[in-house]
Amino acid sequence: MVAALEFVAVSKIYRGFGARQLQALNDFSLRVEPGEIFGFLGPNGAGKSTAIHLAMGFMRPTSGYGRMLGTPFGNARTRRRVGFLAENVALYHRRAERLVRFYGALSGMGGPSLSKRSREVLELVGLESQSNRNVGKFSRGMLQRTGCAQALVNDPELLILDEPTSALDPLARVAVRELLLHSRAQGKTIFLSSHLLSEVELICDRVAVINRGQVVRLGRTADLLHCADRIKISARHISAQSFEESSEENGVVTFSVPAGSERATLERVWNLGGEIVSVNPLRRSLEDIFVEATSAPVSMDQGMVQ
Amino acid sequence: MKPVLLIAINFVREQRWPIFVLLLWVLLLAVLGLAANIPRDREDLLFVFKQVSIYVVAFSIFFGGSAIYSERKSRRILAVLSKGVSRQQYLSGLVLGVTIACGIYCFALGLTGSWTLGEAGFPMLQVWFLMACLVAACMLAGTVALMFSTFLNPFFAAGATALVLGLPALAGQTVAPRWADAIPVYSLVAIVLRSSYRFPGRAVWFPILLALVEMLIFWALSAQIFWRVDIAVAVE
Ligand SMILES: Nc1ncnc2c1ncn2[C@@H]1O[C@H](COP(=O)(O)OP(=O)(O)OP(=O)(O)O)[C@@H](O)[C@H]1O
Ligand SMILES: [Mg+2]
Repeated sequence: MVAALEFVAVSKIYRGFGARQLQALNDFSLRVEPGEIFGFLGPNGAGKSTAIHLAMGFMRPTSGYGRMLGTPFGNARTRRRVGFLAENVALYHRRAERLVRFYGALSGMGGPSLSKRSREVLELVGLESQSNRNVGKFSRGMLQRTGCAQALVNDPELLILDEPTSALDPLARVAVRELLLHSRAQGKTIFLSSHLLSEVELICDRVAVINRGQVVRLGRTADLLHCADRIKISARHISAQSFEESSEENGVVTFSVPAGSERATLERVWNLGGEIVSVNPLRRSLEDIFVEATSAPVSMDQGMVQ
Repeated sequence: MKPVLLIAINFVREQRWPIFVLLLWVLLLAVLGLAANIPRDREDLLFVFKQVSIYVVAFSIFFGGSAIYSERKSRRILAVLSKGVSRQQYLSGLVLGVTIACGIYCFALGLTGSWTLGEAGFPMLQVWFLMACLVAACMLAGTVALMFSTFLNPFFAAGATALVLGLPALAGQTVAPRWADAIPVYSLVAIVLRSSYRFPGRAVWFPILLALVEMLIFWALSAQIFWRVDIAVAVE
């Protein structure tokens, strides 16, 4: 099957004045399958936006190559089937509906279907009542919503979103989440860069964590969160001091033990007069994984090479 | 073709204030035409007409030299090029936009000129020929500026453009007059500047055609350069 998005050994070096260089991506490889919501995570300066800009053809890799929907990066015809939202949304100062129509027309749409679609997407992002207002007078969140509408107008097969919810209020975030899930149900692919780990955890099928321009974790979200080698046990009527690294809340003591030792632990709880509340495989949060994957000390000028 | 047109119209829309300011000069000529005793002040009118003609060429360099820069600086270029628009189409849109912007001005100037100068005894058809010269000069100058602006900031792009357009003119003055035609912006402007009531000049289309051909060459050159440019990289 043709990948929705594919980076093959991509490196990107930003050149400054003189000998100053900064390696933003280093032998970066990644494959996004069609029909999935792919979470793209990484600390500030990890190279997420750089990778996205390379995919959109805004820049050329220093080495390596990549494909988008089966064609090399930078193909204008392919971009007609793609929607993109930049991290800093910058749009012309026009009335929202006209603006969305303008971007739709740039993707080759036209006629009554474009007008209909423009109204539709503005409604999807909750801006139907603002469609006649000038975007220049919008708040940051409203601008980001307009950006979303602009990205969706051509009904893209592949949506590339660079921190699409960073300025949105909680209600709008939920709406975008539902929008993305709905798009996936229609067979669309979504490549989502985000710092909102809870959101990513909820909707992404797979995630990649990148650090210093390289993939440091990659996998299905469920597999990453599931930690098969530890078991989480909660019990009542025991003292928290009896078990290492335990926490107590409302009289329930919770701790984790290596898999295989749960039987012995349960017996110990009973022997101490305790009562088991629950026994589950330990689930970690995406935050734990993120911290673990990126915890090597990073200084802001990490990528500098002379 | 449609994206090219959309980008061109959008460019004109974004530049509506500079275009409006430019049109005030034409208004000045019209006011002079109304206020003046045309037969007596006809030399002054021609002088103002020539002055106002030159401004548009300067503006075409400004338009061409700043278009990509301001789009990159404001990051608005990203949303445009994220759609089904190739870089060549984008450049073509800007060239067309510069042409339309200057065309609007030249049309207004042509109308006012053919009325004021026409009344003073200047052949009306020749006024329109001079406008054609101006539009061609603007297209070429704007495209050269656009080419430099793909990799230089507007200030240096304007300087480089002035150099490229000025050197043939200088060679035309010092070496041999034919050199001035090498990049015919100066020679096209000179046609306008040399015209007078006694010698309004003839309609010579060669420099106009040459300007159009060279415009295509510079456009192709800018496409070659722009194709390699990292547009997402911030500009200062
Ligand atoms: N135009 C540029 N010129 C020089 N260096 C750049 C440029 N753009 C980005 N960088 C550098 O490349 C590295 C990666 O930047 P990038 O914007 O891709 O990070 P990011 O992962 O998107 O970060 P964030 O989460 O803050 O958006 C950073 O060190 C940054 O300083
Ligand atoms: Mg970023």
